[in-house]
Amino acid sequence: MKFKAFLTDNGVSLLDRRFLPALEKMGKICHLFLTRDHAFFLHNLLSTDGIQSIAQFRKQALFDDYRISSQNEDRIAFAFDISLLLRAVRSSVSICSEFGAAPAPANRLQIKLVKKLPPNCTQPMPFLTFETKGYKSAVIQDVPISKPLSRAQVLELQATLDAAQDLPRTLVQVPDLNRLQNFVDRMKHVGDLLNVTISKYGNLHLQISTTLITLGAEFRKLLVVGDKAQAPSEDRDLSAQTRSERAIAMGDAQSVQVSVRHFSKSLQCHLAKPDCAFYGIAPQGACLTVIFQFFVPGTRLTDKSISLHCRLPVLDPGSS
Amino acid sequence: MSSSAIEADTSNLVCQLDNVQGIVDALSTVRWKRHQDALVEVSEHGIVWIVEETGCLQAKVYLQKELFIRYEYTAQGRPRFGLSLGLFVDCLNTFSVPGHSSTIEIRYPGPDMQLLIKSADSLDDCIYAEIRTRIPETISWDYNFEPAGSTPLSFTVKSAALKEAIDDLEWPGSSIQIILKPVPPSVTFRGEGHGDLQIDFMYYANTDLLIAFHCDHQVSYRYKYKFLRATTSNIPSSVIKDNRGSKLTIGRGGMLKVQHLVSVARPSTSHQHIDSAGYQQPSRIAYIEFFVKPEEDEETVND
Repeated sequence: MKFKAFLTDNGVSLLDRRFLPALEKMGKICHLFLTRDHAFFLHNLLSTDGIQSIAQFRKQALFDDYRISSQNEDRIAFAFDISLLLRAVRSSVSICSEFGAAPAPANRLQIKLVKKLPPNCTQPMPFLTFETKGYKSAVIQDVPISKPLSRAQVLELQATLDAAQDLPRTLVQVPDLNRLQNFVDRMKHVGDLLNVTISKYGNLHLQISTTLITLGAEFRKLLVVGDKAQAPSEDRDLSAQTRSERAIAMGDAQSVQVSVRHFSKSLQCHLAKPDCAFYGIAPQGACLTVIFQFFVPGTRLTDKSISLHCRLPVLDPGSS
Repeated sequence: MSSSAIEADTSNLVCQLDNVQGIVDALSTVRWKRHQDALVEVSEHGIVWIVEETGCLQAKVYLQKELFIRYEYTAQGRPRFGLSLGLFVDCLNTFSVPGHSSTIEIRYPGPDMQLLIKSADSLDDCIYAEIRTRIPETISWDYNFEPAGSTPLSFTVKSAALKEAIDDLEWPGSSIQIILKPVPPSVTFRGEGHGDLQIDFMYYANTDLLIAFHCDHQVSYRYKYKFLRATTSNIPSSVIKDNRGSKLTIGRGGMLKVQHLVSVARPSTSHQHIDSAGYQQPSRIAYIEFFVKPEEDEETVND
């Protein structure tokens, strides 16, 4: 089992300033799953509860001179603590930038999988090692990682990953991620369970109901991707709740209940600076999916080398 | 706005306001613990929020109708209802978007006696809430604050200085003595407990802190620290920024009245000229009053 690659400047900035801070909010521990062509950062794929997040990078998006080999079709997966990885990347960046004036190719950041005998230990332990060559010095940082996943676990991971690629039939675009996050963060104080209704008319309706309070927000006329329908004209004069109920009754909307905390976490992904975000409900109301879209810088074209989406567990099948 | 035709029939209070954060600030001032019940009284003049604790501390927030951009009250009398203050503040907070001035509409009562709130900014996006109200509990004491004598015993101190002094008195804790002396004109806060701490405001020495002072004879009363602290612990930062003063008056029997002024001016004006905002819109101030009962003499001995 071998893995060795150079992190590109673009890769460093993607991880350091965007993805790792966002993924850190999803949970402390994350799986890194490396294949011949892709690197995946995965949260909660092997557990049934908690929000699943899947960040996928084509190897060229992060690495240069990417070499991987294993007896399991060149696939390697292990768990690690995101905050440690983020610290290692940040400090490597600072070493590189200290000598930033020097010609660039010398300051390459190599990462590789190693086994080392840590002090006071009898057993060698696996590490992800960052090697930075500065102007006069070289710095090596070892990020402790879990034992690589067994063949069976890797297969399970791959299977869950394949299953998680199902797209909801209707996706609505979130109008303003920051504003929505602000709202949901404040909503957290009022209750724990959030009803999310998404309609083919482009409505996103969020509502918390407890015995004392009902608090909701409705966003209408959002961009719809996938199955869409024309909103009935008499809809305009109704309350948000009635509108949602009617749309569900007509089969034009789905509703699920998720944890407000999960929903708010999913919005934290805006730290990865996506260009837009879409919410949708998976078939049979299996989960609430949020898909983040990234554009090729300077264009409105989807950057297919990066993808990020989250799946929020549904607490109650709702009225799907 | 017309979308709520169903609700319009039952409501006899319909009001709109354009500074949600100001109202959140004003109500947070009297929120000294997380779960707190308030009594709300609606009248043609505005809305009054009353909060109290164990018959020793009462706070009132006056939201006069001038604070609202629209205030329509069609019923007679002064209906009262009970509401969870914490829930209302948390709920109102979700309507306040930093950097945006948001307009909201409040209606009471809804079809099921709820308090209804909704955003009134955009037709396509809408935030709404319904909060269940309760049959009001009677207030255990609705104290008519009476002056102690012909001359009022009062002083006005910068809110920031008052808060700082009371925060500092946490260390000796339990019971705080407030002494007003005409010669030399001064106010003393004195805490005795785990140690002694005395904070003096001298009228002539600190005219910038102690802005006004009226006292013709020496008085001294003790108050429970936790109640005194409740009067300043949640003063909103806008009060400190606006450099406002708080007025403290001692009434008959040692009843302490603490008054704060919280600006509910439109965010656009308060951003630029904080000092002048209050003068430009003198009516857009929420008045907050706390009433603190003094400790009984025998209690102080036991303490």
